[in-house]
Amino acid sequence: MPAGSFDKIQWLGIIFSLIILISVIFLVRERLIKEKYSLVWLLIGLFVFVMSVFRGLLEGFSALIGVDYAPSAFFALLIAFAYLLLLNLSVSISGLKAQNKAITQEVGLLRLRVEELEKARTRTDL
Amino acid sequence: MLQKLGPERHNGIADTLIVVPAFNEQNNIRGVLREIQASLPEVDILVVNDCSHDSTAVIAREFDGVCVIDLPCNLGIGGAMQTGFKYALNKDYQYVVQVDGDGQHVPSEVGALFEKMQQERCDMVIGSRFLGVDSFRTTWCRRMGIKVFYCLFRALVNTRITDGTSGFRLYNRKSLQVLARFYSSDYPEPDAIVLLKKHGLRVAEVGVEMRQREHGESSITPIKSPYYMAKVILTILFSCARARR
Repeated sequence: MPAGSFDKIQWLGIIFSLIILISVIFLVRERLIKEKYSLVWLLIGLFVFVMSVFRGLLEGFSALIGVDYAPSAFFALLIAFAYLLLLNLSVSISGLKAQNKAITQEVGLLRLRVEELEKARTRTDL
Repeated sequence: MLQKLGPERHNGIADTLIVVPAFNEQNNIRGVLREIQASLPEVDILVVNDCSHDSTAVIAREFDGVCVIDLPCNLGIGGAMQTGFKYALNKDYQYVVQVDGDGQHVPSEVGALFEKMQQERCDMVIGSRFLGVDSFRTTWCRRMGIKVFYCLFRALVNTRITDGTSGFRLYNRKSLQVLARFYSSDYPEPDAIVLLKKHGLRVAEVGVEMRQREHGESSITPIKSPYYMAKVILTILFSCARARR
């Protein structure tokens, strides 16, 4: 497909997906996102990019799943991606919360231990 | 076996730890600690200060023989109690009694908990406001809630529990070992019953006297209570559905 025949919306999609891809790569490079979490974002970016460049793909796909209006199929897919991403984040947050609790408890226990040791030391110093 | 009717001390070492979870209880904590020391001279006391922003910890430290753990973040009652369980296991205590920092629990009733544990040979005893003793005035709404929980516990774990949310409890080492690993942060009391039963441990209940709160408000207001009920029921159902690990 020659570049001249791209619609405005295709250009928009291409620019948007490039912004996503470049930001994600930048964030991973700066260690602001873990590689593990970057994967889903890269997939979303690539998906938007491919769908924008090859218009026929989206139309073929929507015909395949029986959706008349091709952009709806596109939105449905993106929303599905977003749900997966959110679910993934909820799992991560729950894990962090459990770790956080264990560490908080350990800090409390250790503080008391330090206090006891300090008390014992001042007693032997006297 | 010797009849065990309460906490004991062998060669100066107590076998029982009273854990007092406290969050902003500066008005109540002094009375609670005084009362525990007066009626149970043979126990050790641990106050778990759940990141209070008043002088709870300062007051607790005034007491001789009271250990204080200051948590650096607020974990809620479940996280605070679990800290106490971990401490008790580290220090080889045989029993833990939870006595809330708000003064509702009556320390002289701890003997009743021990008696029940001895009688029933169980691993956790719950002090119930609603069993036998008739000192606790309560609303119709609350009674409904209690009925719902009673049926739920009977259906799910085949145990008769009238006061599943009561925090006044005696745990032995076996149940401490389970709860030091798994203790939910938000609604730990009903959840712990299911958890212990799933680990093949025995749970019993005994009627005790409890007081109305002296200072401060209950965390559960009438508007929030259906929401609270729903969340607790959900927690119980989930902990039933969870595989034993």
